[in-house]
Amino acid sequence: MKASRTKGKSWQNYKVAVTGINARAENPGPGCAVARCIQEHPLFKGSIIGLGYDALDAGLYARHLCNNSYLIPYPSEGEEALLYRLAQIHKAEGLDAIIPCLDSELQNFGRLKSELQLMGISMLIPSRDQFNLRAKNHLGTFCESIGVHAPESKSLSNPSFFDSCEKEGWKYPLIVKGIFYDAYVVHTAFEAKSVFAKLISTWGYPVLVQKLVIGDELNLAAVGDGKGNMLGAVTMRKKALTEKGKAWAGVSIVDEGLTKVAEQIIGALSWRGPLEVEVIKGYDGKIYLIEINPRFPSWIYLSHAVGRNLPVAVLKLLSGITELELSEPSSGTFFIRHAQELIVTLPEFETVLTEGRLAPQMVQDQIIRSA
Amino acid sequence: MEELMSHTGGRVPTRDRLSQLAVSETGFIFDPQTGQSFSVNPTGLIVLDLLKRGSTLDVASNSLADRCGIPVEIASSSVEAFILQLGRYL
Repeated sequence: MKASRTKGKSWQNYKVAVTGINARAENPGPGCAVARCIQEHPLFKGSIIGLGYDALDAGLYARHLCNNSYLIPYPSEGEEALLYRLAQIHKAEGLDAIIPCLDSELQNFGRLKSELQLMGISMLIPSRDQFNLRAKNHLGTFCESIGVHAPESKSLSNPSFFDSCEKEGWKYPLIVKGIFYDAYVVHTAFEAKSVFAKLISTWGYPVLVQKLVIGDELNLAAVGDGKGNMLGAVTMRKKALTEKGKAWAGVSIVDEGLTKVAEQIIGALSWRGPLEVEVIKGYDGKIYLIEINPRFPSWIYLSHAVGRNLPVAVLKLLSGITELELSEPSSGTFFIRHAQELIVTLPEFETVLTEGRLAPQMVQDQIIRSA
Repeated sequence: MEELMSHTGGRVPTRDRLSQLAVSETGFIFDPQTGQSFSVNPTGLIVLDLLKRGSTLDVASNSLADRCGIPVEIASSSVEAFILQLGRYL
């Protein structure tokens, strides 16, 4: 392996914490896929620590993905609670890196970056400015500034907009989105207002409304080096969707237009860390930017399948390696997502609920034998 | 980009576009640019193979006529119709 700059411990022996290990079939977090990418890399000999928010986050119990797992406080509890918990976990595990995988937690992790760095824990994440500039409610302005097409969108705090929107040129169907997650296609004012109420109660204000663009939905996952360079990209076209519009099946493709748009975005923001660019390739041939997600997508295992393992690329970058040795972009590799039951023993569930961590396998075996 | 034929009534794929397609021996086609897949019948496969190898429309039509034992005029109009049909998928 060519290493242009190495600092201390090799990425191959890293102890890496991964968040977002919830795995609901219709809308899984990206954490389990990130852990799988790293675990299945032939050179990785380190271990993965799963960080979950709920005792029913499946990744907590997936020992083939996470060597050990812990609960951490919800993002709403703030960065101090998170730092306290991470310090406890670091004391027990000796973490080298964290890969945050959820939008809602990134600001807390961002604020803790220096403290965690002092503890010896690295992260490749965007700055607060980078994070805010690509936010859904600023996307229109950002797209305009870099000359990328985007569907017209509006930030709403009052649902009465939906009663009169057609007079202002906002014809149904429209897309209604939460500030962090969730997007619904609505066909009437009644439906729109019901979705508005649901999104406010889940994600808070504002709600975003976007004009619908007809075309093919393409997604690109990549890593930015923080200096304006895109270090590797994998593009996927969704072939089948869950009820929430998430990819249930997809195929790798190569789309030069989308690659250029992603390069423009990363260049303009000097993006640091993983990201997902969601676009619609309209039937007019234009590419419309829908969203920029500040983390890996849940379909990121496809990157491992096409020889461009982006989670491992992040570890390499954190250890100072800049030669990522990614394969050339390729098309025609499919994925089909499937749901599977993980068997969880009572002692495992109990220790997660009462101690916020998964019992080590040996301890568990003893508990089961003595029961 | 080289046009396969001039036609105003539909979208005609360029030769470059055709050369990107992954075509299996059974006629299964994958378009790496869009991720779409579709199938062509054995006759379509003969024509697509010839066009991908750089044959002109006349050469492809003559070859199809020879292999299928049909008049060149019929082969030629069939090839044109096939190209226009392909254009709707690409």
